[in-house]
Amino acid sequence: MARLEAKKPPLFIGEPLTKDTVSQSLSLLSGILKSCYGPAGRLKQLHNGGGGCVCTTSQSSALFSCLSVSHPVLRVLTASVQNHISRFSDCGLFTAILCCNLIEHFKSLDVASCTVIKISNHILSLCMDYLKSEACACRVAVDFSSIETLLCLVRSILKSKPACMLNKPEVDHLTALILKAFMFTVPCHVETNAVLGKCVIVPVKGRRVVDSTVLPGLLIEAPEIQLAKPITVKRTCSDMIKTALFCMSMSGDLCNSEGGVITVPQRICLEMSELNQLLNIGKQLVDAEVGLVVCQKVIHPSLKQYLQENQVMAVDRAGLSLMEPLSRMTGSNPIASIHSLSPSCYGSLKDVRIENFASKHFVHLIPNDPVVCSLILCNRNETAWDELKRACETAEHVLQLTIKEPLALLGGGCMETHLASYIRHKTCNLSTSSFKDMDCSRTQYQLVADGFCRSLESVACSLSHDGGETLTDMVYGHCWFVPSGFPSVSNWSDLVSKCGCGINGSAENLNWRLLQGRFGSPIILGCPIDPPVKVADFLALDCFAAKCSGLQVAVETANLILDLSCVIEDQN
Amino acid sequence: MGLEQEERSDMHHRSCLLPMAFKDVNARRHIGLQQLSSLAGAGRTLLGPIKSCKFIVDESTNQSTLICSAVRLIESLDLSSAAGQILNETIQAQNKEFKTGMSTLLFLVGAWSDAVLECLQQNVPVSAIVSVMSEGLNSCCEKVRCLQMSVHDVNKELCSSRVRPHAFKSKTCQIGCDSLLNPQIFLDFQKEISAPEEIFPINSCSHQDEDCNFDKHLVSPLVGFGSIAPRVKPAGDKSMSLIAGSGVITSSCNKKKLTHSRYFSTLGKSHFSSQQRDFQGYLSGQSAEPCECYGLGHLAMALSYGNQTSMKLLQSIVAYQQERAERRGSSQFNIAEVVTCCLLGLPESYSCVSPGFVTLVSPEQATVIKYFEDKPLRILLMDGDLTEQYRHLGFSRPCNVRTILEHPGLQEDRAGDLWLRNMLGILKSFEVNLVLVKGNVCENLLEGCIANSILVIGSVARDVLCAFREVTGAQPVTYLTQLKASCLGSGAQVELWKASDGRAMDLGELVPVRVKVQGISLLTAVLTSTVASKMQLIEDQFWTFVYRLHHALNDGKVFLGGGAVELLCLSHIQMLGDEPLQPPNKNAVRDFHNPWLAASVSEYKSVVLQALARGWKQYLSVLMCNTAKAASELEACTSIEHHLQKAADCGSPSAYILKEFRRGDLFSSGSSPFTDHTEVLKVYDNVTAKTEAWRRALDLVLLVLQTDAEIITGPKRNQLLNSHGSSEFMFL
Repeated sequence: MARLEAKKPPLFIGEPLTKDTVSQSLSLLSGILKSCYGPAGRLKQLHNGGGGCVCTTSQSSALFSCLSVSHPVLRVLTASVQNHISRFSDCGLFTAILCCNLIEHFKSLDVASCTVIKISNHILSLCMDYLKSEACACRVAVDFSSIETLLCLVRSILKSKPACMLNKPEVDHLTALILKAFMFTVPCHVETNAVLGKCVIVPVKGRRVVDSTVLPGLLIEAPEIQLAKPITVKRTCSDMIKTALFCMSMSGDLCNSEGGVITVPQRICLEMSELNQLLNIGKQLVDAEVGLVVCQKVIHPSLKQYLQENQVMAVDRAGLSLMEPLSRMTGSNPIASIHSLSPSCYGSLKDVRIENFASKHFVHLIPNDPVVCSLILCNRNETAWDELKRACETAEHVLQLTIKEPLALLGGGCMETHLASYIRHKTCNLSTSSFKDMDCSRTQYQLVADGFCRSLESVACSLSHDGGETLTDMVYGHCWFVPSGFPSVSNWSDLVSKCGCGINGSAENLNWRLLQGRFGSPIILGCPIDPPVKVADFLALDCFAAKCSGLQVAVETANLILDLSCVIEDQN
Repeated sequence: MGLEQEERSDMHHRSCLLPMAFKDVNARRHIGLQQLSSLAGAGRTLLGPIKSCKFIVDESTNQSTLICSAVRLIESLDLSSAAGQILNETIQAQNKEFKTGMSTLLFLVGAWSDAVLECLQQNVPVSAIVSVMSEGLNSCCEKVRCLQMSVHDVNKELCSSRVRPHAFKSKTCQIGCDSLLNPQIFLDFQKEISAPEEIFPINSCSHQDEDCNFDKHLVSPLVGFGSIAPRVKPAGDKSMSLIAGSGVITSSCNKKKLTHSRYFSTLGKSHFSSQQRDFQGYLSGQSAEPCECYGLGHLAMALSYGNQTSMKLLQSIVAYQQERAERRGSSQFNIAEVVTCCLLGLPESYSCVSPGFVTLVSPEQATVIKYFEDKPLRILLMDGDLTEQYRHLGFSRPCNVRTILEHPGLQEDRAGDLWLRNMLGILKSFEVNLVLVKGNVCENLLEGCIANSILVIGSVARDVLCAFREVTGAQPVTYLTQLKASCLGSGAQVELWKASDGRAMDLGELVPVRVKVQGISLLTAVLTSTVASKMQLIEDQFWTFVYRLHHALNDGKVFLGGGAVELLCLSHIQMLGDEPLQPPNKNAVRDFHNPWLAASVSEYKSVVLQALARGWKQYLSVLMCNTAKAASELEACTSIEHHLQKAADCGSPSAYILKEFRRGDLFSSGSSPFTDHTEVLKVYDNVTAKTEAWRRALDLVLLVLQTDAEIITGPKRNQLLNSHGSSEFMFL
């Protein structure tokens, strides 16, 4: 007789945001994220506490992938930030910090949350309209015919990851490499449907960063290649190397994994019959004048021996991640079974070489049209290499996003403060009818708008980690930093040198004010204007698409969390 | 998720984290840096050419190990903390890449951690420390380029200067070689230096101090350039030896007896024994070509220190490879063509270099060799295991196959016997004599092979297989079933390895054999010792020397040694610090990481630069103490300050240092009455290995400095939640 156990009733938690544990956890999380933000951000050591490997990082992708938060409210936040990161790679911390700030500021307002949500959505639409308009003074157009802005974009990403441990020449070197690698992936002949190629990162840990380099084509690590007899690869009459690409295992093992027992008489050797089938494929390849066989998995040594004897180079264990670029680069279809071998599967390559890089041996596949390239990435130790790899992937992704939408936003906190001054300016001139549409009073609107602007400005303040003050000017609305230890009565123009993004110098008196002044609402002047010079050598720039999405995700997630009225937890 | 609140140096921002976790007692003491500092402290005595070994005792098992290098030290320490883990990773990375510079790295990690902690005490912002220190190191690395010399120039200079019996303060380096070869001069010289030499009674020095350089210097070349008859007889006591013909007993245990140092030129008493041996070397082996040693032999010496045995082995390797390189036009020095074989139970004087592959086999296998005599053997190379179960990597064994027997009569053989018979059959039918296997070999097959006079050697390194592939034409196979006649090589010879006095060695359980082929590029350095615990030290040190030469040739240049580089760094930092402070807002913006840092950076510049300088200053003074160049760190510091002052007065510090280096006066104690006779033994350092060690050390310290919290993930988190120490953690 089966016994039934009564189900536990679900746990009901009302008004989760008012609970102490939630706000404590939220402020702890926000503190961790703020402390990581920017080029001077503090690092976190992620480890399992039991002698496992240590990941030193300040990047959102690494942090969020290992943060296990217990409270549902926090889980909503981390899930939407992680989703943003997976789509854009960049601006994860911006998104998360802004979201925390918004929740914090809106929670303390004495305004009904549904009103807050309506108003903040309205402000968000004002922001988005402004950022997407030609009039926007905190964005720059990215000109793909000159590399200056692109370099700035990549350099800003590398510089904001201190755990990569790069010095200035190293940043410059890598910036150029990443851009070069990206250029390889842009096809030379664009037809109607241009598809970007791929840059594959090849790890070489322990070397100096300046030893990193970019090669067209792909590198496949082949530690055993030095033991093999050097061969001259067979070429076709057009001096190409005919290439066959296998994604099936060619190791000669039985490929059924469905279960069930195979019964064989002793005189039959399954291994031999498998091998004979493989050798049969080998013969077909040789007959088809294939010069190079690349296999995702393992090739049986006997098949390798047979191929090599017939001047066919065999490269195995290429790995799943290389299959797509391999297929793209050679124009061949990966062969998935011994029965699907057909002449249409084969592709071609320009050349194959053996390359040695830092005691590692590689087979270098060189294509005709280099839309695929390899970035040999070096850094001195494991943890710094991992961080650098994430940074390079982010930079590559940002360049891809930028080529679709050739715009960039001013970084170094300037976009945030500028946007905040724009909103302050815009909302004080709002018509009464708009308030009616939103069902709110002007005061309520002003309160929410102020919270919104302070949240943005507070993100800019998070860039500074050693005390000191953060200022904004009343002309351009940019962000300025003053080191600690100076009395706040000083003449600011003596202390500031350049704004956060580097576009403005302190030549004139720009009427600075402290950002985190507790007292008195800031005086609203005119709309912040475009800075006089649009091009400077060392601008801090952010990816337009990533930051816009970050802004939207942050506001929408904050609204969602504010809207939570209860949490129902299933305890079974 | 548990968040361990680590100490914070700057309090402003931390208030957004939970304030209850602050440890007020430790305010401004960064725990990670303290951990680094204490771990690195253990390696202090490992710095420099005279290292004091350490016994590391495991209290739980009562086992102990003798270590004499930073890598081995780190391997034996408890590194459960996150900072310890990264330190280990850093040291291992340097070791993997360079095999040298690890003690320098470890020491500087400690010194710079201390210095940075002091900066934090003085309220210097973290970002200012990070940017000034890394810019400062960069600038120093640029500056010390003027102390680089091309390997070619060094070779020339070493070959001409090494033959001078006396180093006078002459500006030219061209005393002819004939003076060396004049026996009268040599004898006079010997008398002169012998007089004040104290002769140590036997055994007096074995326990003088913890320094375990028992017998590093007692060996004269067994195999010099070419072949030289052994000149050293082991004199019973392992720490003493008689150098035949010279009548001078040298002892090596005294700290003052540093024969050769990359850091400090020999001076005072310490030069006697080294000169003695050097002259021995010249008079016996090298005198035939006093100025044409190809340079590399001397370069190897100038880059190495301490162990004469290893140095001589290296010189033999260089001589052999260079001769080969000249004939074939291959590269001058190839470390891939060198392997080691450790023989325990022979005195260190038996160490030598043998062309071919020397390895240990069981006595049963050794019996096969006598059937081979001198005939050329057919050789087979295998790149996997030689066992029935072995399958190539990536082969997954089917688990759902059932074999049924159709003819029970055939069952008499066990399946394993069938395999054995087949494999032996293959080997016999191809008339294979010698099999080199990368992996393991099945015991039964091994026995069967012995019975059939086939020598099978397992666990052979890939480089060795490569060397045999190249020279014999053999093509490695994975399975014997793959074997074809074209895969076999020919022309190999196997003999029992004999020590230099012609004696075949029987070391009990294992017998050394030597596999050779005419024209093989492979060399085996046979390392011998009677002390089991020293074997590892000897092997490590040998490889360090090999890699130093390798890196010098790769870099194409070397640094002046003897502390010259560090001294120049110190004087350069002094200069950087003395530069007038720029007004906080206007200039120098671009040099720094962030524009807004410029102001705060210039304010703290001199404090932070002093911290950077402290690393090298301590490095030099500890070196001077470890090598007995100074009695105390205070004395060492005085000497360093003295040089810095003189360098500054001279106007061009690099010129001053260069001049002092040429005179061999850098960091000499000056009080020695023999300074006039000091031979200028020039010492050099690897360029990349050294600057990389600096950079890695600083990177590590700055990485830990910038870390403000540990985040513990995984199952450990729940343990922490319930443990009594959970108040130190915060949970999300």
